[in-house]
Amino acid sequence: MIAHAGRQRIPLRRSDTADFVGLVRRLDLVLLLAAAALVGYGLWAVAGVTRFDVQGDPDYYVVRQAIAAGLGAVGLVVAIAIPTGVYCRYWRVIYGGTIALMVVVYVFAEAIRGSKRWLEIGPIQFQPSEFGKALFVLAIAGFLVERGRGVARLHTVLAALGLAIVPVLLVFVQPDLGTALVYAAALSAVLFVAGVRWLHLVVLAVLGGVMLASVLWFLPAAGVEVLKPYQSARLTSFANPDADPAGETYNVLQSITAVGAGGLEGRGVSEASQTRFDYLPEHATDFVFASFAEQRGFFGAAILLLLYLLVVWRGLRVVTVAGDLYGAMVAAGIVFAFLFQVFVNVGMTMGIAPVTGIPLPFVTVGGSSMVANLVAVGLLQAIHLRGSSGAPVR
Amino acid sequence: MSSGTPYGESRSSSSRFLPPDPGVEAPYRLTPGLAFRVGFLGIVALLVFAVLFFRLWSLQVLSGDTHLAQAQGNQQRTIRIEALRGTIVDRRGRVIVDNVAGTAVKLWVADLPKEGRYDVIKRLAAVLDVRPARLAKEVDARFADPVNPITVKTAVGEDQVAYLYEHQTEFPGVQIQQTYLRHYRYQTLAAQLLGYVGEVSQEELDARSKVYRPGDKVGKAGVEAKLDVELRGEAGQAQITVDSLGQPKSGVEPRRDARPGKTVRLTIDIGLQRAAERALRYGIRTAIENESYYANGGALVALDPRDGAVLAMASTPTYTPSVYVGRVDPKKIEPLVNPVAAEKKNYPGINRATTGVYPPGSTWKPVVALAAMQEHELEPLQSLSCTPTATYGADKQQFRNWDPYVNHPMTLVEAMARSCDTYFYQVGYRFYLGGDKGRSRMQDWARLFGFGGPAGIDVGSEEAGLVPTPAWRKREFTGWDAEWNPGDSIQFSIGQKDVSVTPLQMARFYALLANGGNLVTPYVLAQVETPGARGQAPFVDRRFTPDPPKDLDLDPAALEFIRQGLYSATHSTYGTSSGVFANFAIPIAGKTGTAEKVVSIPGYPAAHTEDQSWWCGYGPAQTEVARIVVCAVIENGGHGSTAAAPAALRVFEQFFGVEAPTQTLVETD
Repeated sequence: MIAHAGRQRIPLRRSDTADFVGLVRRLDLVLLLAAAALVGYGLWAVAGVTRFDVQGDPDYYVVRQAIAAGLGAVGLVVAIAIPTGVYCRYWRVIYGGTIALMVVVYVFAEAIRGSKRWLEIGPIQFQPSEFGKALFVLAIAGFLVERGRGVARLHTVLAALGLAIVPVLLVFVQPDLGTALVYAAALSAVLFVAGVRWLHLVVLAVLGGVMLASVLWFLPAAGVEVLKPYQSARLTSFANPDADPAGETYNVLQSITAVGAGGLEGRGVSEASQTRFDYLPEHATDFVFASFAEQRGFFGAAILLLLYLLVVWRGLRVVTVAGDLYGAMVAAGIVFAFLFQVFVNVGMTMGIAPVTGIPLPFVTVGGSSMVANLVAVGLLQAIHLRGSSGAPVR
Repeated sequence: MSSGTPYGESRSSSSRFLPPDPGVEAPYRLTPGLAFRVGFLGIVALLVFAVLFFRLWSLQVLSGDTHLAQAQGNQQRTIRIEALRGTIVDRRGRVIVDNVAGTAVKLWVADLPKEGRYDVIKRLAAVLDVRPARLAKEVDARFADPVNPITVKTAVGEDQVAYLYEHQTEFPGVQIQQTYLRHYRYQTLAAQLLGYVGEVSQEELDARSKVYRPGDKVGKAGVEAKLDVELRGEAGQAQITVDSLGQPKSGVEPRRDARPGKTVRLTIDIGLQRAAERALRYGIRTAIENESYYANGGALVALDPRDGAVLAMASTPTYTPSVYVGRVDPKKIEPLVNPVAAEKKNYPGINRATTGVYPPGSTWKPVVALAAMQEHELEPLQSLSCTPTATYGADKQQFRNWDPYVNHPMTLVEAMARSCDTYFYQVGYRFYLGGDKGRSRMQDWARLFGFGGPAGIDVGSEEAGLVPTPAWRKREFTGWDAEWNPGDSIQFSIGQKDVSVTPLQMARFYALLANGGNLVTPYVLAQVETPGARGQAPFVDRRFTPDPPKDLDLDPAALEFIRQGLYSATHSTYGTSSGVFANFAIPIAGKTGTAEKVVSIPGYPAAHTEDQSWWCGYGPAQTEVARIVVCAVIENGGHGSTAAAPAALRVFEQFFGVEAPTQTLVETD
């Protein structure tokens, strides 16, 4: 390895696809099966949750979701096929593309419920910020790899932050506070695994805390409104759900009721009144977990959570077996973003996390999210494939 | 962590001949530092899932039942199933008031959208033809009440119901319910007595929060109010499942059946009641034909003198209680609620039989005669002069007899038959001469006979009337007027000046004369019963036992003289109402009265005196115990013999089922 003088490039490994059986063996089959189980379980959940949403077509959402899963599977395979080194090398392109996409969204997207998140291409509607999560991680990790050991220095960290803040802000102004927070979570995981000093991490954490506090309390007190009132109310109201049962906290209260009403065994699809009679708003998207918990009870919901835990565990394992630091960082970013989404979404439906519009991976109705999550699993597999587990590559 | 990278320790130890190049990465390996960090992330992940599991467990398993109940409360809406209100029947079980089916539109305020609720209200008001401002006000007032719907309207037409069903989604919270509407089979019959039903008021709700719920229909007056608890029955309960917009998702599932209200049986006889109301109108007509043009109202009471059961109780002008049912027409209801409009219509809402106070005029003479005989101030067989005029008092005030052509001494019986005023002046003056104590002895007897206080009827309000005494005069007036003068005693003896009575009090007194000295308590409510199966006798839930007649321990001989006088008044050639009753097949005894009362006639600015036409009496007289007492008054009707007496005769005709031959109406006192 000494032969490589100057800036090191991670070499592309071209012979990966040669041996298909060997390749499959080197995949993390547990992760793959866990993801497949999640997709299947999610489709089953959606089938129940949306049974009464479209009159005369109880399978409307399931079918669309299944199509998205099929697309996602293709994306997963493609992601496995592409060596991760490519992303690392072309991180600038990825970064630039991501930013461009988000600007396009900001300029051209039609506002749906006051938020510009969706791009329409022909009959297909997609949400770039979902794909942006993985792209964001790929780009930032690429930058950090380029800086190499410089990551230990504060200015590198600050440079990474500066780089990251642009897409985060672009998502934030859509406005999509939840996804912006997911980006931030992914960023912190990437920095953490990249080896940023503990001291710097603490400083960052304090800074983040101060920023959050000023956005929520200090700046509004000084007359500067950064968040829209509903955002700030949602972020803070989970701490006190009974404050305004008919207003901001209505959703949360109904959601808690729905989860609780599910009991041990669930109420079943036709008996789950919170879902069926629309007491629970957004039960196919943001509050899908509450709906699912109402219909399938503790057993059903616990299985879902265990599947998530399985994915997180395998994902973290991918971090440890990654063939290079880039792969480790990307895997960590993806896993942590995933964990963050699960926690905030599930926590929100149970009143222990702020209400933000974050989709529940593999379950929330939405094609972009489904495809993006499967692609993310593909990325993890690609990292695993080229990592140190089992037979070393080449 | 001494070197540049956190994971650098393992790498920096490599010994090479060249110093480490910071730009060149050593081959990537999992370092303990990275492993530690990943482990840290793993612990975070585990913590996160632990939190989620605990929360899930606590919500679903530990407090699952509470939440389930909440969820069910969300969707299950309890609605009240209106109970069928009990019917009101007459003494023979004939239905006076029952119900017909109708449709009511109710509004669940909580289901109105937060924004745009006034649009819904406006649309609904337009469809149902109610005032939007009123409905909006009601909605605002009940905004905090999510469990009781507002009754927007009862008696809704079929096309309106159809429209609401077709446009269900435009009317969140609107519910269409079957309801019952009060049905008055005989329209105005006994209107003031029966009362009416209306939506419960806030005061009534506060007073009886356990029984009434907002939107309930309750009895507002008369029998409907008095026995509301019995009549209303018990509302049932049903549940419907609704979605978050309040639209029903299931049929109505009954939970508890409504218990229909009880039947209330009155002492009233429909036939007699109708006759009484007709008689009043006939009396007014007759009065007008006899040139008493202001005759415009009246009251008639028919009692069973044996126990005080009210057989008929009429008051005119009257109204149809159905104006309160369903779609209330403000114009029609105005005379009942608005004092100005009421005056124009001569107060159709009040029951003149119990709350109308009039000077009794000559119908009062038996009171005076009976009191005088009990006090031994009058010897009935001793003749007293009946002169055209008499003079009393220090100022030599002259008092006249109504008939200036009579001038001979007569006994009590003839004096009563002729209704000789000057005869009774002497009796009154005797009391006056009795000093301070004596001057109020007549009044004490009048009180004992039930005047000056409520007669104690079980339904509706009553006026006490007035029995004036020297003490009362002293209390109420000053200076000269505070003095009780001979004129006061003299006027009192013929039922004039300050004394005032209600027709019911008068009927009660004549019942006492008829039954031999027992004061009855008039009553209208006979019993509360549950209708039996077809053809079966009803089951009596509660029988109202009227207060037993009070024996006043009067001198039977004195009573007999009075009865002779009353019989003579209707049968002797000189009797004041002989022209009306002498040829009637059933022997009737009774007394006319023509009482001057200061009245204001609508349309006439100045108050002036008008004769109030009275007749009180009973039958059958002489041979057997009387079965009916009738007391009638025609306001501004002129002479007793030309308005009230012929009216009373109509009631006797109906009661005995005997038609009277043609009467001769002679103007007498």
